[in-house]
This record gives sequence, structure tokens and C-alpha cells, in this order.
Amino acid sequence: MAEAAIRVENLTKVFGRLGRRRIVAVQNLNLEIQAGQVYGFLGPNGAGKTTTIRMLLDLILPTTGSAYIYGQHVRRNHEVLRRVGAIVEGASFYNFLSGRKNLEVLARTGGHYDPERIGKLLRQVGLLERANQRVKGYSTGMKQRLGLAAALLGDPDLLILDEPTNGLDPGGMHEVRLFIRELVDQQGKTVFLSSHLLGEVEQICDRVAIINRGQIVREGAVSDLLAGKSTLRVEAAPLDKAAAVLKDHWTVAMNGQWLTVNATHEDVPQVVRRLVENDVSVYEIASQRQTLEEYFLAVVQEGGAHGWS
Amino acid sequence: MVGLDLFRAEWTKITGHRWVVGCLIWIFPIAAFLLLVLMAVILALVDSARTEFASQSYLWTEQMIGVWSVPRDIFGRLLLVGFTAVMFAGEYQWGTWKNTVPRHNRVALITVKFATLGVLVLVTFVIMSIILGLGVGVLTMISGADYGPRITTDVLADFAGDYLLQMALAFTATLILAGYAALAAMLTRSILGGILIGLGLSFLEGLIPVGLFLIALFLDFPTVLHLSRIFPAYNLANISEWIINGKALETTIPFRDGEQIIYSDSLGFSLAMTTLWVVLLVGLTIYFFRRQDITS
Repeated sequence: MAEAAIRVENLTKVFGRLGRRRIVAVQNLNLEIQAGQVYGFLGPNGAGKTTTIRMLLDLILPTTGSAYIYGQHVRRNHEVLRRVGAIVEGASFYNFLSGRKNLEVLARTGGHYDPERIGKLLRQVGLLERANQRVKGYSTGMKQRLGLAAALLGDPDLLILDEPTNGLDPGGMHEVRLFIRELVDQQGKTVFLSSHLLGEVEQICDRVAIINRGQIVREGAVSDLLAGKSTLRVEAAPLDKAAAVLKDHWTVAMNGQWLTVNATHEDVPQVVRRLVENDVSVYEIASQRQTLEEYFLAVVQEGGAHGWS
Repeated sequence: MVGLDLFRAEWTKITGHRWVVGCLIWIFPIAAFLLLVLMAVILALVDSARTEFASQSYLWTEQMIGVWSVPRDIFGRLLLVGFTAVMFAGEYQWGTWKNTVPRHNRVALITVKFATLGVLVLVTFVIMSIILGLGVGVLTMISGADYGPRITTDVLADFAGDYLLQMALAFTATLILAGYAALAAMLTRSILGGILIGLGLSFLEGLIPVGLFLIALFLDFPTVLHLSRIFPAYNLANISEWIINGKALETTIPFRDGEQIIYSDSLGFSLAMTTLWVVLLVGLTIYFFRRQDITS
């Protein structure tokens, strides 16, 4: 079996010491990510995603546990991070330098300065024409594009992307999605992606892990997690009465003009029968495949998250 | 080659911040140049000023070597502390450590900052000394004042030796000062914190003899006064004395009942102590940075 691109063992990070200031950001996290895939890392705000990413990049020292990249202990073998490109919590740059100079500084810092590659990457992310302008004048989307170029400077095997499409317009987001898939499918790279946009994650990720309160609560292939997870969309009147009739047997959510019922296609006759027997008029029942977003919300609500934004 | 690349990255980064490098570093040669231009205009227009200027003689060797006292005077220290604080704490405020730390080990990232600072200061003051050496020469030509000594092999050899020693002294003093500011900047993660605490530490060091004197009086234990000998200010002054006058700085401290505490140290002792301080301050900065969580 090929070596895992990322492996974390019992990773824990506690900020602060005793008392109220003590925050357990990540707790006994175990994860193994094989190379050659797009891996989604999901969780509500404050779940521990960015802290985990920062520990992977040796920005934060774990309280206990270890992080490995391609089998190398990150803290003991810092050199292995040369195989990694990353965007962490939005791209930040030296605002007083141009986009090109910023890439030059980062490439030289990483020991892989190549002006031709910088030009190529600037063209690839659509910044070539504004490459010599100061970053101070860049929009958030432009900074994000520059961040992507910076992450790719050393032609890394592994990309760790924390919210890579933040600030991009829909066209830009689409381009980035295609670009990430191309990196994996055609260049054999591995992408570890943290994103708030679950539709985006569902479209491009092969596997996902959901983290909540510092712990992994679900992990698996997107197709496996969503297999057999369907709902029924029920349009009926009166809606309140319909909800009351069905909630004894299934989980029901009111969505404005219709109900979302956690039931399968096979349950449709029984749903109809119960509604009709209780004098509820049925207008439409449609079977819907559960989206990653719905799955995620259900999982996070089980765990009692603070919120999602 | 990787080390050179890292240095060039740091150089590009910090010299690209034109306001900071202009106001805190390039200002030294620029101010010297502007001052000389102003003096030239005055000498050209005001007869009495020209006469007064011409009544004195000037040495280009003194003009050029004297520049190296600037990094150790109050104004020089203030600007250098400010520059160091921006260099080290700026990375927190710009949120850029997260880009560089995964790309290179932390020890090298901090070491190269000190190296870049040192080289930048050396380049700046070499330029300033050339400007002053040539500029004062032009002023003496305008006014007719003497400008010596004549350039001979012996004069050049003496000058080169003194110049390099003063340069090394200024370089060491700058590194110690930068060590205070860098340490403060890293711990507070703030430019202002770096400036205030860095300056505070630097000036506090000057008060150490007073503090030790009070402790010695309180404890009636004059041996405590000898602790002054381990601090950078005394050792830098001692090295300067050795360079300029070829002898040790003699310190005499009157104590109770006419008792006097007298001490002086060899050049080797002071060189060792200042080296130790540089290593200690740079080492502490690296130590704290290695253990620090980068959360911005």
C-alpha cells in the first residue's frame, strides 16, 4: 500500500493552561489520508480545522500526538514540508510588495526560485497583467489567486488548502474546482481541502472527514456517506397537520411550502396512506437524494455544534 | 545557495518596504547628504561662515570613522530599534509567518533576519561615511580649509585598521540592540511592543550601574558593583577605549568611607562578553520563536 500523504496520531492541542482560558481545540485526532485524492475537511467554526492544518504545517506545536507528512514527522523533519504547498485561513502577503515580488520572496525562502515558473503560475491564476502592482491594491479574490500560485511555487506533491475559494466570484470558484481536480487526476497530486462551501466539497472531494469539537465524527468516501441517505419532499395541505401525522414515524422538517421527511422511496405508499387517512390533501411527493450539506448539518446537530457560517 | 536565497528573500522583503527602510535606515546617509548640501549653500553664500569654517582643519579619516558612533548614540538606537521591531514583529501583523515557516526551519528564518539587519546597517553606514568623507572634502574646497591627512600607504593602512575595528564595534552594538528589540517584538508580537520594550531594555541597561550601586549600599557589599562588567554597555565602551587609546577603560566608583572600587578589563574579556551577549540574545529569540504557536 502506498505511503499516506498525511497521517495524524492522537493529535491534541490545548490552548491556555488551567481555568476558563483553557481551550481544547483538537482532541485525540487520528486521520490517514492516502495520496492521489481530494480530501475534504469539514466542520463548523471553531471545530479545530485550522488548528489541525496549522499543526500539519508546523505552525502550531501539538500538545500531544504527532503529525506525519509522507511518513516524516513534521516537527522533527521540517524538510518534508518542502513537498507541501498551502493556503492557511485566507492568503496574507506583504502588501507593500507586488504580487510577483511576493512570489519571488516565498520561492527564495523555500529554496526553489525560478522566475519562469513564477510567470507561468501568475498566468495560470490570471494575475499576469497585474503582477507588478502592489498587493495592497488587490481584491480579496486576487489575493486568493495569488495564494494559490504561492502554494504551487515548489510544485508540491501535497496541497493543503484552507478555504481556497474565499472571495472568488462564481466563475473563479468554478475554475479553481476544475484546477484542483486536474491537479489530482492529471498530475497525481493530493489535495487536503477545508471549505465552508459544502456544494463545492461534494463536487470535488473523493473522501471527507467531519470534525466537531476537536474530534472526527464521520469519515469516509463521499459516495459511501451519502449512500441510501434520501429524503421525501412532501407538498400537502394543511402542512401543520401533515407534519403532526408523519412525525410519529419519521423525522420531519418544515421547509416553507413543503415538508422534508427522512424516509426512503419505499416508504412513499405508507406516507400517502397515513396522510389520506387523516384528511390531509397530498399534492406531490418526490424522493430526494440527501446532499452533503444536509448530511453535514444532521451530523453536526447530533454533536451539538455552535453554528455554521 | 539556499542560505543566500533566504538572505535575498529577506533583503527583497525589507528593502521593499520603502517607508520603513527609508525613514529608519536610509535616512542616515540621506540626512548626511542633505546636511552637507545645506552647509555648502551656506558656505557659498555667507562670507563669515566660510571664514569660520576655513579657520579649522579637518581630517577625512575622522569624518569617515566618526560615522560608526551613530548606531550607538540615542538617535541611532531609536531608529534601529524601530527598524528591528518592524522586521521581526511585522511578520505577525502582516500574517506572513504562516507563509514562510513551512518553507524553511525557524532557526534559519530568525538568523537570516539578524544577518540582513547587520548587513543593511553596515552598507548604510559605509555609504554614509563615504558621503561624509567626500562631502566634507567638497566643503573644504569651497572654503579653502585644510583637509588631511595626505593619502599614503601608511595612512591608508592605519585608516583601514581603525575603520574596520570601529565598524565591528558598531556591528556588535547593533546586534545587541537588535537582540533586545527582536526578543521584545517576538514575545509581544507587536511592532509597538517591540519598540517600547526594546528601547526600555536598552536604556535600562544604562541604569544598571546605578541599580548595582544602590544594592551595594543597601547590602554594604561593594563586590556587587563588579557585576557591571558583564553588561554590554561597559564592554562596548571598554572595546572602544582599547581601539581609540590602546588601553583599558578604568572605572573608579567611590564607595563608603573613602573606599574606591576600581576595575579595568582586557580587550579579550570585553570581546568575549559582547560575543556572549550577541549569542545569548539571538539564541533566546530563536528559542522562543521555535516554541511559539503561529496563530495569525
